[in-house]
Amino acid sequence: MPGRRCDSPLKNPSRAYIALGLEGSANKLGAGVIKHDVDGSTEVLSNVRHTYITPPGEGFLPRDTARHHREWALTVIKDAVVKANITMHDLDCICYTKGPGMGAPLQSVALVARTLSLLYEKPLVGVNHCVGHIEMGRQVTGARNPVVLYVSGGNTQVIAYSRQCYRIFGETLDIAVGNCLDRFARVINLSNDPSPGYSIEQEAKKGKRLVPLPYTTKGMDVSLSGILTSIEAYTSDRRYRAQGEPCEESEDIIRPADLCFSLQETVFSMLVEITERAMAHIGSKEVLIVGGVGCNERLQEMMGIMAQERGGLVFATDERFCIDNGIMIAQAGLLSYRMGFQTPLAKSTCTQRFRTDEVHVAWRP
Amino acid sequence: MLSSLSSKPPTQQLLQSADLVSQGAEAAIYKAYLRQFPTSGHGVDDAAFEASEPVLLKHRFHKHYRHPSLDASLTRQRIAGEARALMRCMRSGVTVPGIRMVDVNEGVLGIEWIDGKSVRQLLPGGAELDEINELEEVDEIHENGAADPIGDYGVSGGRTVHMLIGLYSSSVDALMNMIGVEIAKMHLADIIHGDLTTSNMMLRKQTSDLVLIDFGLAYHSTLVEDKAVDLYVLERAFASTHPDSEPLFSEVLNAYEKRMGKRWLPIKKRLDDVRLRGRKRSMVG
Repeated sequence: MPGRRCDSPLKNPSRAYIALGLEGSANKLGAGVIKHDVDGSTEVLSNVRHTYITPPGEGFLPRDTARHHREWALTVIKDAVVKANITMHDLDCICYTKGPGMGAPLQSVALVARTLSLLYEKPLVGVNHCVGHIEMGRQVTGARNPVVLYVSGGNTQVIAYSRQCYRIFGETLDIAVGNCLDRFARVINLSNDPSPGYSIEQEAKKGKRLVPLPYTTKGMDVSLSGILTSIEAYTSDRRYRAQGEPCEESEDIIRPADLCFSLQETVFSMLVEITERAMAHIGSKEVLIVGGVGCNERLQEMMGIMAQERGGLVFATDERFCIDNGIMIAQAGLLSYRMGFQTPLAKSTCTQRFRTDEVHVAWRP
Repeated sequence: MLSSLSSKPPTQQLLQSADLVSQGAEAAIYKAYLRQFPTSGHGVDDAAFEASEPVLLKHRFHKHYRHPSLDASLTRQRIAGEARALMRCMRSGVTVPGIRMVDVNEGVLGIEWIDGKSVRQLLPGGAELDEINELEEVDEIHENGAADPIGDYGVSGGRTVHMLIGLYSSSVDALMNMIGVEIAKMHLADIIHGDLTTSNMMLRKQTSDLVLIDFGLAYHSTLVEDKAVDLYVLERAFASTHPDSEPLFSEVLNAYEKRMGKRWLPIKKRLDDVRLRGRKRSMVG
C-alpha cells in the first residue's frame, strides 16, 4: 500500500471478549485464557502448561504423548479457568490447535475442544500453530511489522507479512532446528528436563573449541540434517572424551561441551544469516524470534548483534510465550473469531501438515 | 588477473579510495579505480588496464555475530567460490564480468565494472524496486542506478530502447533470446547460478551484450535437477517482478532449448516436475 497507512480491519470490540486456547501439538499441553477489552487492550488471564518429559536419551513418541495429554487435559484446563477467575460460561469461543504437529497429540486435544464446545455450547476456532506463535509474539513485544524467525522442534521458518498472509521467505529443507538440537542432546545423553535445548545451551557455555561443521545455507533456506550427522560423527572420534573433564588448553581433545558450542554457533549463524537476508530483502528493521528455540539466549544475542549492525531491533519473549502454550492459540483464535471466523463442528479436524501461508490473516491491514 | 594480494594495507587502501555504491546484508559494493592505487610496481595494472578503467569491489565484511574463525573461513570460501565460478564461465565463453583481483583474507573480490542497466530496469514493471515481491537477494544487486542518467539506450542493429516506456517488442524478444543463450552456455559448462533473477543480468551499454552477474551463490553441478531448479527460480523471479511476463519467459526457454540441443529434454521434464512440486514442500519436523 504505497503512500498511506491502511486502517486495521479489526475494530475495537463493543464488549470484552474472552477465549480459551488449547494447545497440544507436541509434548507440551497448554491451556490459556485471554481477554480482549473494549479499549483494544489484551490481557492474559491465565497460562497453564504441563510438559511430557522423557528420560535422557529418549524422545517423545506420539502415542505416549497423546496419552499424557489425555491424562492431564482436565487438570490443566480446570487450572487455567480457575486461575483466570472465570467460569466456562463466560467464554466466547474455544480455540484449539488445528495443526501442524504430531497427529495423535493433536487429535486428543481436538477431541477435548469438541467436547467442551458441545457441553457449553461455545463455538470452536481451529488455529494454525505457527500463526499462534507469531500473533502472541507481536502482542507481547509490541513489534509492528517484524520479520519473524520461527524456530522450534518442528518448524524453522523465516516469515514476513504481506497482503493478509504470513509469507514464508526461507525455511529448513529437511529437519527443524529444535529437532537437530534435541536429537543431539539424546546422543550425548543430556537431560530432557526442562528441555533438551536448555541442556544444550547450558553445556555450550562451557565449550571453547569450534569444530568444523557443514555450513549449509541455500539462498534463504537452510539444511540441517547433514550437520546433525556430522556432529554425531564427532562422538566416535578418537579425540572425543564423553566425560568432558576440564583440560589443558594445549590438549587435543573434544568434549561434549565443545560439540554443543560448535553446534549452536554454526546453526545459529545460519539462522541469523537467512533472517538478515529476508530483512534486507523487504527493508524491515525489526526482527521477532518465536518458538521454543527462541528462548535460547545465545540465539537472541547473535540476532541482537546483527540487528544492531543494521540499525534495527530484535524482539524476543521468554519461555512463558516462546515455548508452546495455550495462550497463543487463544490469542490467534480470538483475533480470527472477532473477524467472524468459526470452525463448524463437522470441520473441526486437525492436520499434521498446515503451512503458515495457508492462513488468511483477516485481522491485519 | 591479479593473484591474491597477501599484504593487508593495499586492499584496505583501495577500499578507502573507493565509492560505496550499495550496501547489502552480505557485502558492500564499491566502485574504485585500480590505476590510482599506488602499487603498480608489479606492472600488472599498467599492462592490463586503461588509465581510468573502473572496477567493482565486492567486500564481504566481517559479521560480528558469527564466531570469528567460522566467519573467516566462510568469507574465504565464498570469495574463492565466486571467483572460481566466474573463471569457469569465462573459460566456457559465458559473458560475465572479468576478474580483476581476489583477496580472500580481506574478503574482497574485484571485478570488471559493467556500464549498463539491469534487465529488471529495462523491462516493464521492474522499476519499482522497493516492492516486496520476490525472493531475490537485494544485497547482491549490482546496479548503479542513480549514477546512470536515464536516457536513450543503443542496442545493436540501430534499435533504440526508450528507458521510460520499456523496450520495443522486437528488442524485448532479442533480449530474451540473449538471456536464454547465456544461461544455456552457463549450464553447458555445469555452472549453476543459484540466484537467477532479472536483477542479476545486465545489458552492457557500449556493446549491448548480456552479462550475467552476481555469482555469490553459484556452484558446480552436472545434475539435471539443479539446472531445472535454476530455471524455475528465474521463472518465479519473472512472474513476481514483471506482470504478464509468461511470453517473455517462454522466449527465454526457446532460446535455451535451441542452445542446449539434446540435453534440453531431460531438463524440460524435470522443470515440469519442479513446477508441480510447488514452491516448497510442506514441513513437518
